[in-house]
Amino acid sequence: MVRYSAQVVIIGGGATGVGILRDLSLRGISSILVEQGDLAHGTSSRFHGLLHSGARYAVKDPVSAAECIRENNILKQIAPECVAATGGWFVQLPGDEVDYAQAWLKGCERTGIPVHEVPLEEALKREPLLAKEALRVFEVPDAAVDGFKLVWENAKSARRCGGRYLTYHRVEAILREGEGVAGVRGENLLTGESFTVEAGMVVNATGAWADRLAASAGASLEVVRDKGILLAFNHRLFQRVINRLRPPGDGDIFVPHETITILGTTSEWVDTPSDNQPSDREVERMMTLGKALLPGIAEKRVIRAFAGVRPLHRSDSEWAEGSEGGRVEEGRGRAVSRTFALIDHEAEEGIKGFLSIVGGKFTTYRLMAEKASDWVAAKLANDVPCRTAAEPLQPELPAHLRRRARALLPCAAAEKTLQRLGRDAAAVLETIARDPDKGQLLCECEMVTVAEVEKTVADEDAHHLADVRRKTRLGMGTCQGAFCTYRALPLMWREGEKYDPLSGELIRFLNQRWKGIRPVLWGDQLRETELTRAIYAGLLDLREGGAAG
Amino acid sequence: MYTQTQWGEEGGPGPKPAAEPGGDDSHRQECGDPAGLDACVKCGICTAHCPVARAYAPFPGPKNLGPDAERLRLEGVALDPGCLAYCTNCKTCEVVCPSGVRITDMILRARRQQGSAQAESAKSRLRIRDHVLGRAEYLGRLGTVWPEFTNTVLATKLTRRLLQKALGISAEAPLPKYKKRFRLEKGSAAELTSESGQNGGKSVEGTGSSSMGRGAAGDPSAGNGSASKQVVYFPGCFVNYNDEATGLAVIRVLEHNGFEVIVPGFHCCGVPLTANGRFREAEGNARRNLALMEPYLERGIPIITSCTSCGLALKEDYPRIRVPAAKRIGAQTYDLFEFLWLLHERGELKEDFLEVRVPLAYHAPCHLKAQGIGTPSLRILRLIPGVKAEELDAGCCGLSGSFGFKAEKYELSLQIGHALFQRVRQGMREGKFKAVITECGGCQVQIAQGSGARSLHPVWILAQAYGLGGGT
Repeated sequence: MVRYSAQVVIIGGGATGVGILRDLSLRGISSILVEQGDLAHGTSSRFHGLLHSGARYAVKDPVSAAECIRENNILKQIAPECVAATGGWFVQLPGDEVDYAQAWLKGCERTGIPVHEVPLEEALKREPLLAKEALRVFEVPDAAVDGFKLVWENAKSARRCGGRYLTYHRVEAILREGEGVAGVRGENLLTGESFTVEAGMVVNATGAWADRLAASAGASLEVVRDKGILLAFNHRLFQRVINRLRPPGDGDIFVPHETITILGTTSEWVDTPSDNQPSDREVERMMTLGKALLPGIAEKRVIRAFAGVRPLHRSDSEWAEGSEGGRVEEGRGRAVSRTFALIDHEAEEGIKGFLSIVGGKFTTYRLMAEKASDWVAAKLANDVPCRTAAEPLQPELPAHLRRRARALLPCAAAEKTLQRLGRDAAAVLETIARDPDKGQLLCECEMVTVAEVEKTVADEDAHHLADVRRKTRLGMGTCQGAFCTYRALPLMWREGEKYDPLSGELIRFLNQRWKGIRPVLWGDQLRETELTRAIYAGLLDLREGGAAG
Repeated sequence: MYTQTQWGEEGGPGPKPAAEPGGDDSHRQECGDPAGLDACVKCGICTAHCPVARAYAPFPGPKNLGPDAERLRLEGVALDPGCLAYCTNCKTCEVVCPSGVRITDMILRARRQQGSAQAESAKSRLRIRDHVLGRAEYLGRLGTVWPEFTNTVLATKLTRRLLQKALGISAEAPLPKYKKRFRLEKGSAAELTSESGQNGGKSVEGTGSSSMGRGAAGDPSAGNGSASKQVVYFPGCFVNYNDEATGLAVIRVLEHNGFEVIVPGFHCCGVPLTANGRFREAEGNARRNLALMEPYLERGIPIITSCTSCGLALKEDYPRIRVPAAKRIGAQTYDLFEFLWLLHERGELKEDFLEVRVPLAYHAPCHLKAQGIGTPSLRILRLIPGVKAEELDAGCCGLSGSFGFKAEKYELSLQIGHALFQRVRQGMREGKFKAVITECGGCQVQIAQGSGARSLHPVWILAQAYGLGGGT
C-alpha cells in the first residue's frame, strides 16, 4: 500500500484535470492528480484539435460562444507553442439557409467574435481545394490546438510549483469520513499495488466517466456520452480551419493539425466511455458529408479514423430542449449546451468536499479549471487569485537553443524538435552533439530523432510506446508506425523491465494503430498497410492478433 | 509511358497516340497533389538508390527532402535551404519509386518556392554562379565565337583559380572544351538554310535542313505527305557548343536511313536553368522551343534528341507547359536510338553494317534511365558485327550537369562516380574494353576526368559501321 496525502485530489488527467492541478498549484494548494491511463489519452486528445473562436455556437449557444472567444484569446497568449493561429473560415454553400448567415453574423457581433468577409475570388485562391460553388466566406479567429501538448504543458507547469500526478493509477473508491470525503483508494495498474491518497477534497474531472465515479460515492450526476468520429488525412489540405456556415451538423469542420488535416465530426450517444471505435458506416458517411466543402475528398488519402466521447452535462431543462429540437437519434448531442457545469455534491447530496465538473469543451478547459479551483480555494479559505489567464504555460524558448538545434539537426527536424520539446530540447541536443548518430530520424514522417525517442522512452512518465507516441508523434504520420515501431524497440529494450515483454508492447502498439486504420482500408493507405503487414507478419513473424489482425 | 513501340497504321515512326492533356499528371493536378505525395508508402527505396545520399551522409536523401518534408512544407515549417541544393536532379529516385511519386519534382518545386522566398538573403556570389551555370546556351554562344581562345583562357590555372574564388566554380572540375559551333555542313547532304532574311542571314536562329536538294523542305508549310521521311533534330547545348561533330554524325546516320533532318534554331532545353534554380527562364525556353516545334508537331514529324537530358525535358517537362504544342511533344519525342530501334523492329533500319572490331563499355546516363526506354543504343550496337559492348551498370557518374562544377560539390561529385570510375579503370586495365560509350555529354566529360578513359556518344560506332567515318 502506497500512501500519498494532499489537500486536494483530482481524478482525471484530461485537459480539465491538469488545468485544475496547475491552477491549484499556482495558488499554493497542495494537490495530486490521479489518472487511470496516460495523461490526455481520452477525450482531450480524441477531438479535431480545434480551438474554437465560438462562432460555431454563436446562434444557438451564445454563453458557450462568449466563453470560447475569451478563452481562445487567452490560450493564444499563454500557450502560443500549443496553438497554431491558423484562423478559420465559415463557408456558405448553395442550399445553406441564407437566414442562418444573418443570424450568425448577429450572434458573432453580440458575443464579440470578430468576423470579416473574404472576397470569393481571394478565398478560392488561398484555398484551392475548397468547393468552387462557395457563396460567401467569413473569417473568424479559429485556431488549431495540440491536445497532447497542452495537457502535458499544464502538468509540467503544475509540477514546477509542487503539483503531483499519478498516471496508470485507477481510483476504485472515494473514501468517506463522516459527512465529507477523505480521499481516494485505488490500484497502481503498472505494479498492481494499491494506493491511497488522503485529501479533504475530491474533484471529479473524469469526463465521460464522471457519472460512474460520482455514483460510486453515492452522488448522482447525468452525463451524456456523445461519440464523435474523426478522419485524419495524410497532409494539409487547407491552411485554415474550414467550417460550414449553417447550423452545426456532422462532418462540417476541417482542421489543419500539424502535418495532417482532421475532418470532424459526428454526434451519437453511446453507453460506455470506451466506445471509441469508428465504424465503416460512420467513415463512409463522413467521406460523403466532407465532399460538400472538399469536392476532391475521395482522392485524398485518409491515414486513420478515430473517435472520442464528449462528456456533455444534461440538466432536465436542456433535455427538454433537446427533444423539442427533434434530433432524437444522431445529432441530439448538439442540442445540449456545450457549456459546463460545476456540481457541488454538498449542496446536492450533502457530501462535503466533493465536486464534479462536467461538460464544456477543450477550448474552455482553463475557464473550467478556474471555476473549479475557485470553489476549492473558497472552501479552503485560500484567497490567492487565479493566475492561469496571464501566466504563460511554458517559459520562452531561449534563442541559443534554436541556433543549437539548427546547427545539429537537418532541415525540418530542428524546428519540429523545438516545437515538441521546448526547453527540454536542450538535453536531446546535447546527446546529439555527443553522438551525432542519435540525430538520425527514427520516425521519418514526423521527423523525430533517435535521441528524442530515447529520452522520451526513458521518461518516468512513459510506460507504454503509446505514451511515447503522444509525446513525440512517433507513429502518427503517413506510415502509421510501419517503420518507426520496430526502430523504437532497441531503445525500449535498453530500459530493461519497464517495457518487458517487448513483443507484448509491440503487438499492443500495432493493434492500437490497426484500430484506426481498419475502417479506412482503401487506396494508398491499404498499400501502406500491406507493407506494414509484410514487415511485421512476414519479416518479423508476428502473430496472435498482431498487425495482420 | 514512353516505352510504347506501336507504330502508326501506315508504318514508320509516326506520331505516337497523342497523350492526354497534361499527361498522367492531370488527375493529380486536379486534386491538388501533382507530385503524388499521397502515394508515398515511406518505403525508402528512393533514398537507398540515391547516388548523393550514398556518397554523402549529411544529405538526408530524396525521401526526406521530397515526400517527408513536403508534409511539413505544407504545414509552413521553416526548412533549411542548404539541403535542397544537394539534389542533383538525376531522377534516380523517380525511376526506382514503386509508387510513382514525382520525388524530384517535389524537391524542385520546393527549391522554386524557397528561391522566391529567399532570393534576397542568398549569397550573391552563388546567385551569380547559378546565373552563369544555368546559361549553357549563352556561355556556348560566347565560347564558340573564338573557341580556341576561350579554351586557352579557361585552361589556365589562373583563370580557374579566379573562377573558383569569384564564383565558386571548382578549379579542378572538367569544364568541357568549346568547339566550332554546330551547324549543318554546306555542300554535304546536311545543309544549312537560314530562314530568308528574317534573321539577317544569321545562322543562330535559322532553321537548318538536310534538304537533299529541296531548298524549302525546312519550311513546314511546304510540301505534304513527306512527313514520314522527315525528322526534326533537337541537338542541345552540348552538341551546339562543345561537340558539333557528334551532331553531324547524328544527322548523317539519320540521312543514311533516308530521313531528311530539319534543325530549327532551338534554344537550350532548360534543364541547366532548372538545375540552377532559374525556373521561370527554363519555362521561357520551353515555350520558345515549343513555338519552333509546333508546325512540325502538327504534321506528325518526330523530334529526335541525342542528349538524354534534353530528351527527358521534352518528354516530361514540356508536356506540362500550357500551350497547344505541349500536348504533342511528349509523345512525339524520341531518343535517337529509341527511334532507330523502332525502325529496326519495322525492318526499316538500314543494317548494311561494316564490321566494327572494338570492345566497348556502355554507361547508361541517369536521364536515359528516367525516360523508361531501356538502353536502345546498346541494343542497336549489338546488331553490328564485331561490336562487343559491356554494360557497366555502376550508377551515376556524379557530374549531373553543372552540379560537379561547383567548388563545394566537386569532390562529392567524384565520390558519387567513384564506383563507375573504378569499374572503367579496371576494365581498361584488363583490356576488356578500349572506350566508354554513353549518350550524355556530361557523363562523357566526367568519365574522362574520373577514369582517364576515352568516352564518346554511341552514334559514332553506328556511323563507323555505316562507313560514314568517325568511330573509335
